[in-house]
Amino acid sequence: MRSIYLTLVVVVLSLAALMPAAGQEAPLGAANWDLVGQPDGPPISGTELDLITEEVAGIMRCPVCQGLSIADSPTALAIAMKAEVKEMLSKGYSESQVLDYFEQSYGEFIRLEPKARGFNLFVWLAPLAVLLGGLLFLAMRMKKPVVAELEPTATSSSTESELDTYRERVRREVAS
Amino acid sequence: MNRKVLIVGALIVTPLLIFLALSFGKDPRAIDSPLVGRTAPDFALRGLDGEMVRLADLRGKPVVINFWATWCQPCIAEHPVLQAGAKQYEGSVEFLGVIYQDEPEKIQAFIDRRGAWGPSLVDDAGTVAIAYGVYGAPETFFIDRNGVIVRKATGALHPNELASLLNGMLQSG
Amino acid sequence: MISQLGSAAVLLALMTCAIGAPLGYFAGASRSAAGLQWTRRMALAFALFMVLATLLMEYALITHDFSVSYVASVGSLATPLHITIVSLWSSLEGSILFWGLVLGLFTAGVTLLQRRGHEDYLAYTLGTLFVIGLFFSFLIAGPANPFRPTPLPIPTDGPGPNPLLQNHILMIIHPPMLYLGYVGMSVPFAMAVAALLRGQLGASWLRPLRNWLLVPTSFLTLGIMLGGWWSYEVLGWGGYWAWDPVENASFLPWLTALAALHSAVVQQRRGTLKAWTVILVMVTFLLTILGTFLTRSGVVNSVHSFTQSPIGPLFLTFLGICLVASIILLSLRIDTLVSEPSEDAVVSREGAFLLNNLLLVTFTFTVLVGTIFPIIAEAVRGVKVSVGEPYFNRMAVPICLGLLFLIGIGPALPWGRADKRALQRALVWPLPAGIVGLGIALLAGARSWSLLLTAFLAGYALWVTLDQALRPARLRAKKGESAGQAVLQTFVRAPRRTGAYLVHLGVIVTFVAIAISSTYKENLEATLAPGQSAALGGYNLTFKQLDIEQEPHLTAQKATIQIEHDGKDEGTLQPRFNHYPTQREPIGTPAVRTTLTHDLYLTVMNVGEDGRIGLRAIVTPAVVWVWLGVLIMVAGTVICLIPPRSVAVAEKARTVEANA
Repeated sequence: MRSIYLTLVVVVLSLAALMPAAGQEAPLGAANWDLVGQPDGPPISGTELDLITEEVAGIMRCPVCQGLSIADSPTALAIAMKAEVKEMLSKGYSESQVLDYFEQSYGEFIRLEPKARGFNLFVWLAPLAVLLGGLLFLAMRMKKPVVAELEPTATSSSTESELDTYRERVRREVAS
Repeated sequence: MNRKVLIVGALIVTPLLIFLALSFGKDPRAIDSPLVGRTAPDFALRGLDGEMVRLADLRGKPVVINFWATWCQPCIAEHPVLQAGAKQYEGSVEFLGVIYQDEPEKIQAFIDRRGAWGPSLVDDAGTVAIAYGVYGAPETFFIDRNGVIVRKATGALHPNELASLLNGMLQSG
Repeated sequence: MISQLGSAAVLLALMTCAIGAPLGYFAGASRSAAGLQWTRRMALAFALFMVLATLLMEYALITHDFSVSYVASVGSLATPLHITIVSLWSSLEGSILFWGLVLGLFTAGVTLLQRRGHEDYLAYTLGTLFVIGLFFSFLIAGPANPFRPTPLPIPTDGPGPNPLLQNHILMIIHPPMLYLGYVGMSVPFAMAVAALLRGQLGASWLRPLRNWLLVPTSFLTLGIMLGGWWSYEVLGWGGYWAWDPVENASFLPWLTALAALHSAVVQQRRGTLKAWTVILVMVTFLLTILGTFLTRSGVVNSVHSFTQSPIGPLFLTFLGICLVASIILLSLRIDTLVSEPSEDAVVSREGAFLLNNLLLVTFTFTVLVGTIFPIIAEAVRGVKVSVGEPYFNRMAVPICLGLLFLIGIGPALPWGRADKRALQRALVWPLPAGIVGLGIALLAGARSWSLLLTAFLAGYALWVTLDQALRPARLRAKKGESAGQAVLQTFVRAPRRTGAYLVHLGVIVTFVAIAISSTYKENLEATLAPGQSAALGGYNLTFKQLDIEQEPHLTAQKATIQIEHDGKDEGTLQPRFNHYPTQREPIGTPAVRTTLTHDLYLTVMNVGEDGRIGLRAIVTPAVVWVWLGVLIMVAGTVICLIPPRSVAVAEKARTVEANA
């Protein structure tokens, strides 16, 4: 069903492209692609185009799916978006230009990775901060050995704690 | 009392709980349109009647663009609302329908049965829907005389909503 | 009738928790034997009532009693029996009831299995379990009551469970396994709280705590894997892990549970890290509540999202209470957990353990922040952002490489301070294996640095794991035992050791399999008319015909695809395109051909009116090794639970017998 529709569309578009007199109608998407300016690079095609389309489609979110990228989603919208991505890339637009264009209409939501700018930096830098902070903490602790009080505090009964300490020592010695 | 644990714990837990509490009432699926307040993306599409419609030509009048399909129940429900609106504001507001992921034949059959309220434009590869950030049907865009999108409505339109928005757009310069 | 009985059972369960909680704490504080006895009885009663409520619900489901609201919402006359039975956990209310059941069973398990010793610990433990049980019974009895009577008129049929949940047999075992893991984390949490209240965490209580941490961890590992496998086999997008919020929700406590287990090893060996073990165990439980909140409240966009329900705020409140109470308890009591003085060298096994835990905690933090960042960003900036697979993969790769590195050098390093020469020897000795791994990867054509590094580290780690695991066996063999006897005795004397190394082996296999399967995936999309073929990765796929299968609850369009691999006929695969009367978009079920080296994955994307189909084909290498690797991990975790046959006990037994 959809393939008939798409074939019809392709035929119609091809015919439209072939008709010189109809020149007043600009290609439908191009007028809006101007929002991100002129293509950054040269036009590409073939397997190179396929590969980069997969790559870019892989970091764009399908708006009607649960967290899927438009590369993985079978929905009609995702397929249409992927086709437009491919067309833009074939004209030479760069990945960031393509993403910017879609962000115009869908918002930042469309990027599966948040732009590393402003507040979003938190999600990129916080893990690093935790890792470095942890390393620092460990380094400091290893330099100063922890001197613990060997008197356990109030609540425990003395026999139980003695037994436990004893058990621990024995266990440590037995375990090789 | 180990103060370190208390402070670290409080520092981690308090923002966490606050953010989680704030998230209530927000629908994670509802995406605000970044287009509101910006110039509406131009397009040139052919209607089912063969006529070419270009958005830029309609500058100077408020425009209502409704993306719809026959498989969408709310679209069918709001059809009479759009019909009444188109009739009431005939001449002062342009009503445009864009076919969203549907077949022209089905749309035509529907129109033949229920009547039209404006041209039904064929959006071939879905590029116009994408340019407008459409992700479901129905979605309606209200564009003022200067070509700026003042509102995006998702879901079936309510007659009061339609009337108040259009009156507002007609009054303002 | 069932409505009333079921509600009554739940109310009784609620009452036992309301009584048992203060009773348990009182019995623990006053060391009352009678108090403990009654607490135990309450625990068994709680379990009994939960079992009763569950059985009543199952009865209602099977007999299609639509006067019960839950049955009216997920039941259907057209649904096959086995799916009706498992629809108990297919929707929100039923799954909360299931949670209560599992909690009841665990509470009873603790009561029955922890008989000797630790009376006051046990009383406190049960008290805490009752508090948790109180919350969940309250949910089941009130806001999320599946037994609520259906408002009149009582329907004669229902919509049936979510179609996605009817597609595959994994739906039957994935949720129970996950729940056993998730809910089971309440037990070590309760035990940790008991240790804090008691003011002590000695070796005697550490052992049961560790065992009761291992049990849910093994279930959780299995449950996560089954979830990934289900996602792969059913959802049709060709992958097994998408970092969806609900996947992350199950992953987070798993990570901290692993960290806690490693911390416990150090505690047992050196008497240090007591506080960290307790903290990590408590965080694990808190993450299960957080995870449940995230997926059930509807605040994040997820595959599993139940819609925004009234229980969201309740979960958040419970989470808040648990968090605040945990912090207060920790700050008051943590200093009572006395650790031995530690003089650890950085480059030692302890150092490796600490670094390992740091990496696991960083990983947990990263996944957590990534999952809730959309919420934070919206609150701060008012804009919706997405944090998806590319982000998580980018963050996970270096962390996982670090973990793989530690799996290699950790067991190679000796405990405590060692002289430089010994250290060098220990670290250099496995290097050849790493180089071999690297060589194999290069020969196989790998060029990406991450894949090559993975190969090197995996080779190194594999050598270390096998070497260390078999070291005692080699020593025994030198003393004259046969090889078989040596290995057997090594296992029997220290099953925990064997289990642990087996888990490491599983991790290595899984990491390598994930690395290979994500790098070398091949993809193809083609529109085929009957008789047409497409080629991918050595396969020739011919679309033969399209059949329609009518089942009571769905209509399926089945496409028969003829498979030829390297010229050989390999039969047919039949991906389906299912149309459910209750859904607008049809759902495709993929057909997968699994071999030891790769998977062929076929999905139907669409079916044209002209009989042409849109076919998507994916060839992914080594996928089955991801499942096998995790299964090895699960086996290892289970083996860790086997109690060792110690020499002393055996000799004592013999002495006793001799004297008898």
